[in-house]
Amino acid sequence: MGKVIVITSGKGGVGKTTTTANLGAGLALMQKKVVMVDTDIGLRNLDVVLGLENRIVYDIVDVVNENCRLKQALIKDKRLQDLYLLPAAQTRDKTAINAEQMKKLCADLKEEFDYVIIDCPAGIETGFRNAIVGADEAIVIATPEVSSVRDADRIIGLLEAAELRQPKLIINRIRTKMVQSGDMMGVTDMLDILAIDLVGIVPDDDAIVISTNRGEPTVFDENSRPGQAYRNIAKRIVGETVELMDLEETVGFWGKFKSLFSRE
Amino acid sequence: MQNLKPTILINRSLRSGQNINYDGNVVILGDVNAGAEVVASGNIIVVGALRGLVHAGATGAEDVSIIALSLTPVQICIAAHITRPPDGGHHLADSGAEMAFIRDGKVVIEKYQTPK
Repeated sequence: MGKVIVITSGKGGVGKTTTTANLGAGLALMQKKVVMVDTDIGLRNLDVVLGLENRIVYDIVDVVNENCRLKQALIKDKRLQDLYLLPAAQTRDKTAINAEQMKKLCADLKEEFDYVIIDCPAGIETGFRNAIVGADEAIVIATPEVSSVRDADRIIGLLEAAELRQPKLIINRIRTKMVQSGDMMGVTDMLDILAIDLVGIVPDDDAIVISTNRGEPTVFDENSRPGQAYRNIAKRIVGETVELMDLEETVGFWGKFKSLFSRE
Repeated sequence: MQNLKPTILINRSLRSGQNINYDGNVVILGDVNAGAEVVASGNIIVVGALRGLVHAGATGAEDVSIIALSLTPVQICIAAHITRPPDGGHHLADSGAEMAFIRDGKVVIEKYQTPK
């Protein structure tokens, strides 16, 4: 019997889809059987970020309306042993499925997979309510910005009210230099307000832009720092203890050279 | 002088979007996050950080106060008097417990001192 984890945030554009893709791939790299479910009906992105959009024949709406069998809609990622995607529909909207259908779908998927990762849409209405209804656990994504933290706080309140207690936090797109200069919220500032357990910190990095545009999750790249962060998060999800990465931005050769002279 | 209004004790922090409306005094053992609201006809006491919106004396009483371990609200209302933190300035986080009350028709905020 697997675990259903919903990735949510409230605020849009903070990294739910990127996290779903990389956490799913990260867990599959550890030989887990994983399915990622896109519930952002009408604004589907998970398929694009995984590079699987050309292989969509059936989607989640077809499955709940019984136009096809679940197996027919699941797309197997050829890069990994046991990673599957259940895509959202693009030509419908969030009213196309209801909470009961989502609950049943999650129950069915739990039987077949170790981890069911649900990519939740932004917002607090129907899309959000449907995405959380079948979940066992929640992970909240927030960036170190006042608006993102405010929305994350709201979402945590709604999750707790829906009995999804003790959601975990991923801080995404942190820029260590800006935190040090006081221009960006730091980890402690965010935890003071949100008061939930931290499961990982992902640095802001160009590698993400490149990977999402190419449809290649950054966890596959050994040299990618966000990739390393996501691999660590996957390890923590399965229960391993992993130290938080050192997020000091790499200075590079010329940086070290300049700092040598500035000391004189 | 005794305050004979009923008092409710909230044993947790309030998150953004949550609110408390009470005819009486409200004591919160936790924080009031930005985006949360507390409206009470009596006093409001936050044993934690007050970052949200509070309205004490909501039915007109002006002899009520708002006390918090850290008073950095979005807005403060007592009876019909509304005020907000000074523009631009960062309120010093470790000013200690502070109290907001009405003096000479205005809301003032001072360091909290136990009444003698």
